Amino acid sequence: MNDDLAIEVKELRKSFGSLQAVRGISFQAAKGEILSLLGPNGAGKSTTISMLAGLIAPDGGQASIMGHSITSQPHQARACVGVVPQDIALYPDLSARENLSFWGKMYGLRGAMLKSRVEEVLQVIGLTERQHDRVGAFSGGMKRRVNIGAALLHTPAVIIMDEPTVGIDPQSRRYILDNVKELMRQGMTVLYTTHYMEEAAELSDHIAIMDQGQIIAYGTHDELIRLVGEQTRLDLGLSVEAEGILPAWQEVEGVFQATASDGIATVLVDDSNRVLPRLFESAGKAGVRINSVDIHEPNLESVFLHLTGKALRDD
Amino acid sequence: MRILDIAIKDLQQILRDRRAFLFIVAMPLVFTFFMGFAYRSMSQAPDPRLPIGLVDQDAGGELSQALGEGLAQAESFRLEAISAEQAENAVRSGKLAAALVVPPGFTRSVLAGTESQLELVVDPFSNRGQSVMEMVRPLVMHLYSSVEIAEMSLRAVESHIPFSSEVARQQELLAAFDTSWRAWDTSSEQGIAVEQVTSPPQAAHAEPFAGNPYNQASPGILVMFTLFGLITSATLLVQERRARTLQRMLTTALHTWEIMAGHLLAMFTLVLLQGLLLVVFGQLALGVNYLRQPLGVLLVMVSLAAWASALGLLIGTVAKGDEQVIVIAMISMFLLSALGGTWFPLEGAGRAFAAVGRLTPTAWAMTGFQNLLVRGLSFESTLLPFAIQLAYALGIFALAAWQFRRQAN
Repeated sequence: MNDDLAIEVKELRKSFGSLQAVRGISFQAAKGEILSLLGPNGAGKSTTISMLAGLIAPDGGQASIMGHSITSQPHQARACVGVVPQDIALYPDLSARENLSFWGKMYGLRGAMLKSRVEEVLQVIGLTERQHDRVGAFSGGMKRRVNIGAALLHTPAVIIMDEPTVGIDPQSRRYILDNVKELMRQGMTVLYTTHYMEEAAELSDHIAIMDQGQIIAYGTHDELIRLVGEQTRLDLGLSVEAEGILPAWQEVEGVFQATASDGIATVLVDDSNRVLPRLFESAGKAGVRINSVDIHEPNLESVFLHLTGKALRDD
Repeated sequence: MRILDIAIKDLQQILRDRRAFLFIVAMPLVFTFFMGFAYRSMSQAPDPRLPIGLVDQDAGGELSQALGEGLAQAESFRLEAISAEQAENAVRSGKLAAALVVPPGFTRSVLAGTESQLELVVDPFSNRGQSVMEMVRPLVMHLYSSVEIAEMSLRAVESHIPFSSEVARQQELLAAFDTSWRAWDTSSEQGIAVEQVTSPPQAAHAEPFAGNPYNQASPGILVMFTLFGLITSATLLVQERRARTLQRMLTTALHTWEIMAGHLLAMFTLVLLQGLLLVVFGQLALGVNYLRQPLGVLLVMVSLAAWASALGLLIGTVAKGDEQVIVIAMISMFLLSALGGTWFPLEGAGRAFAAVGRLTPTAWAMTGFQNLLVRGLSFESTLLPFAIQLAYALGIFALAAWQFRRQAN
């Protein structure tokens, strides 16, 4: 067992009937890092963290949190973890303060320690002023913040956050992302699941891209981008069916690949500034008019597209 | 400690729910008044005493005479002289609560020191049967003990001054028995053979309410609304699952049994507090003398709270939504209340109805209360209802725990 690792997962598997939700995944998270599990809905992210949080038992494989096996030492493992569920798991008829006090007690806090941690967390989530208001009366973003705060009370070594920014306003999202970075600065390890590539890119030290129950790519943001070879994607709207112009464009210097679908030509190039004028020139010669141009610098979306042939946000 | 935290949180949530006040406090009080008025006419039953038959086959015997006098003087009995042939049928048909059979030569045999047993024909599973057994047993013990004391005192005299004849000895023995019988104030352990027959209760001999209709209405509504009050606490369990707070608890270092125990404790406390409120109300406002046997009342209430809270846990784990909680709780309440004699005494119901009713835990809660309030029995009379209700609590809890663990996993 490596003492530098906060989370270690080996060949973890889980099926629900005939559906293989998680198919033997392995990954590690070092202490103090943010690891994101990025993938579309149904990729197996929530199942993976449900197993790590002790909510469901794996069918096979091993996993440990802070050196405690989730199967043979579940209580020790859970004591090291704060889980932020995707749903707002709070009591709407209790106030923010009452909710935090209750969850603090569930994590074993008592007396002065409980009181001081509740005060601190209320400050961290910016709800000191509204602490006595019923959570049921809060906005979605404020509920999300209390939802996160409840997992921070016992200052766990590992925080597991399951899509914590789903369905909230940009201001609250910003607040949450900044909080996550602050947690990392405090030395906590964060396992973060999201299907927003911008969040994964902004927050993560490492990213594991999941699809159909498997990790299809793992690395830092830059390492993953290099998988698509620094290619820029151009989406060009055309006046006619694109198939006719594609052979000509594939001959243009700097073009790696040209495909078309529904009147949109997708062209992978090395440098859009250099290649775009040549594509216009070639189209002009062929009598094809280019109506629109979208330039996509390489990002995690491109990586996912490159690896799976489908968009990250396809549901 | 975390069990207590969960229970306190549950109670906090329940008491903030305005419906809880309605279900737990307001409606039971209103219904108690209403039912009390309804029972008022029933309470004017002509004779509240339990009918008991005496088959005296030892006619003229001093001991059988003493026994007859003792039964006749007991305030709880209405004594009827019957023949041996009538005894079993009268009990089986419910005309009599029991029949005490004194065998031929009983006085002579007992005084001679040879074995001769009285026989009590009774249905031990009926409330009336239990009551008779409880009340007759001390009288019979009194009789045997008086004979024994008379015999001992006679032997002491005899060791110094022998009797001139056997007749003189018998006369002295009877005199000593008479003195002992009349002076006796406690009981000892002597045998009485009980022949068990099954009979239904009979409407014509329905137990009265000891002069106060609220002796039936108050505990009846207490038991019924204990079940009604489960709606709020069982709903809380459903909400706990729906809001995913249950799952969140499972991600902490809590054990499943701690979560379950916390919810159960909240329900138990709520039921007990509701019961205490209704008991205090019954005692102070309706003249129901719960405090005559406070320990007995407490035993009945604790065991009632135990199975009712286990039932609440079961409903909360089985129901899929708030509406289902209400439907299941209402069905349970109406079924158990009607069958268990909370609306009217089971003794006033038909044979089959009463037999089924006695299978419900509500019937045993009512038996416990009625033993104390209507029949004026002692604290010991609540031990059997207490034990049976606890057994129900264990059974229902086992089911609820199985279902809860299944959901948690």
